[in-house]
Amino acid sequence: MPRRENMPTGPAVTTTGLAKRFGAIEALRDLTLEVPRGATFGLLGPNGAGKTTLLRVLLGLTKPTSGSALVLGHPIPPKAVRTRIGYLPQDLAIYQDLSVEENLALFGRLEGMEEERIAKRTEEVLKLVDLTGRRRDLVAKLSGGMRRRTSLAAALLHDPDLLLLDEPTVGVDPELRAAFWAFFATLTGRGKTVLITTHYMEEAMKCDLVALLHRGSLLVRDAPSAVKAATNSANLDDAFLALVRARGEVDR
Amino acid sequence: MKTRRVLAVTRKSLAQFRHDRRTLGFVIGMPLLMVLVFGYTFGGEVHDVRTLVVNDDQEVPLGPTTFHFAQDILENLEGETLTLVAASDLAAAREEVRAGRAWAVLHFPANFTENVVNRTDNEQGILDIILDGSSPPIASAILGRLRAAIEEALGGSAGAAPIALERDYVYGSEDTRFIDSFAPGVVALAVLMVTTIFSVIIVVREKSAGMLERLFATPLTSTELVFGHALALLVIAFLQSAVVLTAAIVLFQVQVVGSLVLAFALLLLFAAGNQGLGMMLSAGARNELQAVQLIPLILFPSLLLTGVFFPLEAIPQALRGLSLAVPLTYAGDALRSVMLRGWGLLEVGGDLLALVAYAGLTLGGATLLIRRQA
Repeated sequence: MPRRENMPTGPAVTTTGLAKRFGAIEALRDLTLEVPRGATFGLLGPNGAGKTTLLRVLLGLTKPTSGSALVLGHPIPPKAVRTRIGYLPQDLAIYQDLSVEENLALFGRLEGMEEERIAKRTEEVLKLVDLTGRRRDLVAKLSGGMRRRTSLAAALLHDPDLLLLDEPTVGVDPELRAAFWAFFATLTGRGKTVLITTHYMEEAMKCDLVALLHRGSLLVRDAPSAVKAATNSANLDDAFLALVRARGEVDR
Repeated sequence: MKTRRVLAVTRKSLAQFRHDRRTLGFVIGMPLLMVLVFGYTFGGEVHDVRTLVVNDDQEVPLGPTTFHFAQDILENLEGETLTLVAASDLAAAREEVRAGRAWAVLHFPANFTENVVNRTDNEQGILDIILDGSSPPIASAILGRLRAAIEEALGGSAGAAPIALERDYVYGSEDTRFIDSFAPGVVALAVLMVTTIFSVIIVVREKSAGMLERLFATPLTSTELVFGHALALLVIAFLQSAVVLTAAIVLFQVQVVGSLVLAFALLLLFAAGNQGLGMMLSAGARNELQAVQLIPLILFPSLLLTGVFFPLEAIPQALRGLSLAVPLTYAGDALRSVMLRGWGLLEVGGDLLALVAYAGLTLGGATLLIRRQA
């Protein structure tokens, strides 16, 4: 097992006054946020709220305009801890013209895993996403849900401590969606941190903590039930609207 | 068939076109570029062929007139085709041809005019010509021009041909065919097209499928990605070069007097540069359609300005500077020199340096540009 520095202490992610501008658009505004280790943490908000931008900043794919962030205790870009982060982007981001196991082998090698460990972990993650029987099939031949599961398997292969999942359940049928969430719970049970973006507010009820984003700013960060209670709302959708109204920033 | 629906589709396509400024520019600009480049280069006469002259001939007084045929012939040779440069030492002049700095040496021996004037059945005026025959179009331009000049000097009555040309080929021979001279360039051109286009498409495809972003979320660096792609394409370039070279040699009996290993190495170096170029160009293409538009941009200058089909000496002076900026010029020249002249590593050093610089600059540029595309 590789030595894991900073493993037990400190939050998984901390951002301080993080801002990102694309020309006139402010994708992130003065965002200060803490994601504790071992939690399922939901980043919620409508399209354009800044969820994906935040993940890209945390991965070092884009530089923040100002502010700072720590990922597993390391400042961004998180080069030193990159192999401890798993990423599932919104796009499928697996090669359609490779087989399932060829895709996994590629990502395993890029993450610096030994061939033996790749083989072992491939077995494990394929069992987990229920694709063992399709391992030699080209991704292009798989159904949409299977492709999504392959993509998730690639993100999990190197057994990362922090998973950044960008809308992992978009276009996924309800059965598989339920399976995904059950799986995230087992991951956090093993001490992993799952940072997940979604605009399905109902799903977010399954998170330990949620942060509601609106136009790049943080509206609230708390347990989902606490957010509902504080806004006196029946669900997170209503809570979101109530918080936005309170800021006087409702569109339409 | 409803006209209204047909027109709806037409309007849609034209509107898409209007929104894609680059495609619009391509549709108008590319044919214009093609016409201009073709017009200026295609079938142009060979000119400025550097030819050394070693003139040991002496004039011969005969009655009231004095004959000096070497002088007459040289005067008739004045013009655009040949650039005549006087030389004194025949061996040194021959070395110039061997080193590729001149295409031919004309040697008028000491008794040239005398032999022409006093010709007998056995004796003729003999004009020695030392030739680089590796480019048939140039060799035939030199010989054609020379024959015309001789005929003119003899007053158009060549008759029993009092002047004989004695040809000495430094490279190639009378049997060197046009196909021998352009085969090396065509091989390089094939490698250029495949490697460049492949790398453009590979990167554009990764970009459009969100793959680049996913790859850069792993510890993979830009340099590793660029070199990884380049190595894969080198394998393809290797197979392709093998097929094209074998076909040229087996099917068309193309001459190869030099080292095939060196020819291969040069092709692979050239391929590496092309991959860098392709990956750099992919930065400017948002999708596969735009990537395809880049093909003629590479193809036409390479076809017309690089000496693959027409010798550089047939390209107008004003455009020759441009041909120095097209990498295929160096790759083609190096391959021709290796395959037809049997040159070694040191002799193609200049071209080799140019190709190393090309690969270094483009692969370096690709490394800088590729990450920004994620």
